[in-house]
Amino acid sequence: MASASTDAAKVIKVTTSDGIDITVDRQVAERSILIKNLLEDLGGESTDEPIPIPNVNEAVMKKVLEWCEHHKADPPASQDDDSDSRKKSTDIEEWDQKFMQVDQEMLFEIILAANYLDIKALLDVGCKTVANMIKGKSPDEIRKTFNIQNDFTPEEEDQIRRENEWAEDR
Amino acid sequence: MKRAREDDGVQEPPSKIARAQNKDTFSTLSDELLVRVLSFGSVHTLLACQRVSRKFASIAVDSELWKAAYYKQFVLPRASRIPGIKDAGTSEYLRHSSKLSKWLDDRNLIKNGPATNWKQQYRLRYNWSSGQCAVSEILIAERPPEPPLLVIMHNSTIFTADSISGLRAWDTKNERDLIASTTLVRTTDGTPMLPTSMAIDIQGAATEGQRVAVGFEDGSFDIFVLSKDSRTFDPLFNHVPSSNGMLSALAYASPYLMTMTEDNILSLYSFEDGGEVLAPPRLLYSLRSHTVWPPVSLSIRKMAAGIVAAIAYAIPTYLTGWTVGIQEMRISVDGDILDSRLATAADQNPLTLAGHLSTSASTTRSSSPFPEVSREPSYAKPTSLSYSHPYLLVAHPDNTLTLYVVKSTSDSLCIGAGCRLWGHTSSVSGAHIDGRGKAVSVSRLGDELRVWDLEGKTSLASKRLSTNNELSVRVQAARSNEEPNDAHDKVSDVNYGLRLALEEGFDDSIVSRGWVGFDEQSVIVLREKGEGTQSLVVYDFT
Repeated sequence: MASASTDAAKVIKVTTSDGIDITVDRQVAERSILIKNLLEDLGGESTDEPIPIPNVNEAVMKKVLEWCEHHKADPPASQDDDSDSRKKSTDIEEWDQKFMQVDQEMLFEIILAANYLDIKALLDVGCKTVANMIKGKSPDEIRKTFNIQNDFTPEEEDQIRRENEWAEDR
Repeated sequence: MKRAREDDGVQEPPSKIARAQNKDTFSTLSDELLVRVLSFGSVHTLLACQRVSRKFASIAVDSELWKAAYYKQFVLPRASRIPGIKDAGTSEYLRHSSKLSKWLDDRNLIKNGPATNWKQQYRLRYNWSSGQCAVSEILIAERPPEPPLLVIMHNSTIFTADSISGLRAWDTKNERDLIASTTLVRTTDGTPMLPTSMAIDIQGAATEGQRVAVGFEDGSFDIFVLSKDSRTFDPLFNHVPSSNGMLSALAYASPYLMTMTEDNILSLYSFEDGGEVLAPPRLLYSLRSHTVWPPVSLSIRKMAAGIVAAIAYAIPTYLTGWTVGIQEMRISVDGDILDSRLATAADQNPLTLAGHLSTSASTTRSSSPFPEVSREPSYAKPTSLSYSHPYLLVAHPDNTLTLYVVKSTSDSLCIGAGCRLWGHTSSVSGAHIDGRGKAVSVSRLGDELRVWDLEGKTSLASKRLSTNNELSVRVQAARSNEEPNDAHDKVSDVNYGLRLALEEGFDDSIVSRGWVGFDEQSVIVLREKGEGTQSLVVYDFT
């Protein structure tokens, strides 16, 4: 719908931490509040200068931009953390669920990138995915899932268990 | 992804796979991100994570997470019920609450800021809602005093009064020991006096010590102040005996004291604020009521433009047995009576014996839409009545309770349609409700204690009538045995008392006097046994 002359402004470049330039639609990139604010600070003039993203490597950036591309038409997220739109952890839309079928390393990289780039909806999808991996598991199963070292003494662990006895029997 | 274990895989960047398998990336996330992840988890998840590692334990007890869980579990369901009440009328209480944004009455927890331990609050509420508590007992008398002991609970302190042991105060926390006691004797000749009513000063500043008024058989009353530091009751005022007879009820909200005699003479006094000993009060108002029958419940509450003094009482009707009424007097700050008005519960038949037909009864919008209620058999004389504005809770001998919502505005006073509450399996002898709709009721045998959460429930009455069993939960003693000997006996008492009683042919060996009181953390029931011992049973929900 845009004329050819403004098309240039519709595309921007980002440079990832491993020095790769990626060209992306401005509308897609602006799902990131960080990038959006940066572009606004530049006064809206079309810039050929790539925007450096020092905290995100190419693989992760491509993954993040894939998500942004799919969600580019979403209404802007509400800033209110209390809002009801922040639904239960089970509610992840199907496309996002598939998108998040990645290894743990990538999953946490996406979360870190979403946090850094300030893409709240993606951050929530990532956090929900992790929350779902924890859900219904015993402490030991959680440790196994995430390779977490148990640094409690048996006495300490037992004491916490007793402290929380009130909530058992559901 | 698990099978990609062989190090130095060929196609994949090797470092990545190795790290995914052996490194704990999760724990390296910032606290902020970990909290965010756990914010999508249930309470169950939080508790599991607390046991995973030290790092996770520190995150899983995060106050914000528990605050959110508390809100979701306990505040939101109530908030969503509120519009139903709003539609039914404008009670002072709800108008007040609507501006509290989303936290309703739990705003006091919010105000405390970081001091609030949200996990502890959650646990407390959870235990209430599931009826879990630890039970202990305070033995207060080997023999039954005549007339029975008076009991009040206020700010975690239990006050008892009887002619033998005098006025005593007990701590419901910690050791549950006696804080202070004083004899109740006539100052002139030292003979013991018979206390017949008692009230706590609900306006008193906590720093000055709790004031308590005790009314006597001879029409006199005494005011004491409890000093927790010196563990004494200090006399503040002694009112001479009156020819009007025994004081059957008292209400106290400094500087106002309201008394009610056996003959239903109501007097309202105002005390000058003074030093060590109170000066004789000014009698503001006195009236004799011909409509009031026991049980009565007196209350005084502070308003912007003065105070509201109210009597809730039972009242006989022509056709349907008994109903309840409320008389309310509004008094300006200077002590002038602004007005006095009556309302009777809009029951099946508003035709009362006393002939005082309340105008509100017929104008109440909600008086008729509950056909189930109106087909019910008549009410028997109530056994107990508790009024904490806007709730009026009446206990009946037929195993049920009735909840009314009282609407008091500047130009009208009316009692909404009653909502019958089932759940008890034997006669209800005592019930107590607070202004937030939390109620506790106890059966006559003292073996069945139920906790109710009634806020907003009257508006749902028609839908919920058949299922309102779920409004209450029967209290169960906790399995854990903190006080091995004593508590264990009580546990079996509570759980099996009813069955035993039935098997033994309805033996009155364990009879509750019906008094019940509660605060945020515990419920106290006065229990009397066959041999005459009386004890306070403490149900601790923390």
